[in-house]
Amino acid sequence: MPDAHAVSEVHLLQNYLLIGGLLFVIGLVGFLSRRNMIVMFLSAEMMLQGVSVSLVGWGRFHNDWGGQMLVIFILTVAACEAAIALALIQMLFQRGGNLDVALWQRLREDNQPAYVDREIPEDYDPKQIFPTLTPAGIDPKIREEETIHRTHV
Amino acid sequence: MMLTAVALSTIDKLALVACFLLGLGLWMLLPRGSSRGKAFGLVLTTVSLGLFAVRLWPLDDMVSDIVFYIMTAVTLVSAIGAVTMQSPVYCAIWFALTLLGTAGLFFFQGAQFLGVATIVVYAGAILVTFLFVLMLCNPEGHSLYDRLSWEAGLSAGTGALMTILLTWTAASVTFADARGNTVGPTIAVREEAPATIPFQSSKDAQGRNILAAQHVEKLGIELFTKHLLAVEVAGTLLLVALVGAVAIVAHGRTSGMPVITEEARRDA
Repeated sequence: MPDAHAVSEVHLLQNYLLIGGLLFVIGLVGFLSRRNMIVMFLSAEMMLQGVSVSLVGWGRFHNDWGGQMLVIFILTVAACEAAIALALIQMLFQRGGNLDVALWQRLREDNQPAYVDREIPEDYDPKQIFPTLTPAGIDPKIREEETIHRTHV
Repeated sequence: MMLTAVALSTIDKLALVACFLLGLGLWMLLPRGSSRGKAFGLVLTTVSLGLFAVRLWPLDDMVSDIVFYIMTAVTLVSAIGAVTMQSPVYCAIWFALTLLGTAGLFFFQGAQFLGVATIVVYAGAILVTFLFVLMLCNPEGHSLYDRLSWEAGLSAGTGALMTILLTWTAASVTFADARGNTVGPTIAVREEAPATIPFQSSKDAQGRNILAAQHVEKLGIELFTKHLLAVEVAGTLLLVALVGAVAIVAHGRTSGMPVITEEARRDA
């Protein structure tokens, strides 16, 4: 029965399109709203995953290798992107001291207003305080200038 | 206006509700400085994913249905976790779970090589590099910028709108089956005939059957004959990215823009 088979393939494709679309959208929301640069790049990777899922679905439906080929190249580009992005993030972290993208808002257009952080209360979640070991042994000698600026890590 | 009318007639109400709930739930789950409403957001996203699950078509038999639903649930739930967790380390770990779910979905489609490659390259290499940088950069707990988002409401609204568009587009495409009859989604009720994509029977593509037993062999033949040039270009791209990453790190150390001081941060 070729018909039943065809219908099932259509349903499979539509399921995969829905899942791919949802993955893409969730990644999009994360990219737009998160401020941590690393989480932003994770969200971008998630959008790539969503596209990959739909490409594989289309490839299966058309009985064509093109979809899977494209996903292989997406994988390559994602690896390149991750390498460059992480080098960039590392450099920006050394310059700015943290991973906040709002730190780099000087790059905005001249006529755009500056983003001002809301004041939010500190959170003291007892679950977030991790156990520590009791100090033992001799106290290490601490040089004065090392407390201000670490010459090496 | 016209577009809205067409959209409302073709997309079913269930999907609209699901998209709306997804946006609302994501908005409540995103970090907004307090943990109020998180549980409600969790409920909303679960309900929305459930509604989307109702919209999924049942497949051939029960076993593949169960496997497929489990893969989908793992993928989407962990994707939401990856986006909404406060701690970036948790984000990365949830994202690893998303990757495993997608790899399972690839296996389900018969794309074995891609499933393995996703696990090895993405979860094994890219994600671990992310975690490395995360550990290097952010050893402390929750910082202010992890506990606040940019316009969470606006971006969640954008997400909901995008979901509506994607669901509608995916549902309004119809297909021709082997006999030339139009097979399509039951929800598309439109006057004019929509674009119909011809069905390609497996006899037409005997040589490149995508579900062949010799999967990697066929994939390799396709990759290194038809797409040879693209492979070369991809290799060059990898090399350029490698050189670029090294250049960025090495150059960033010595010259360029000054280090941001506290005053400059306040002035900005």
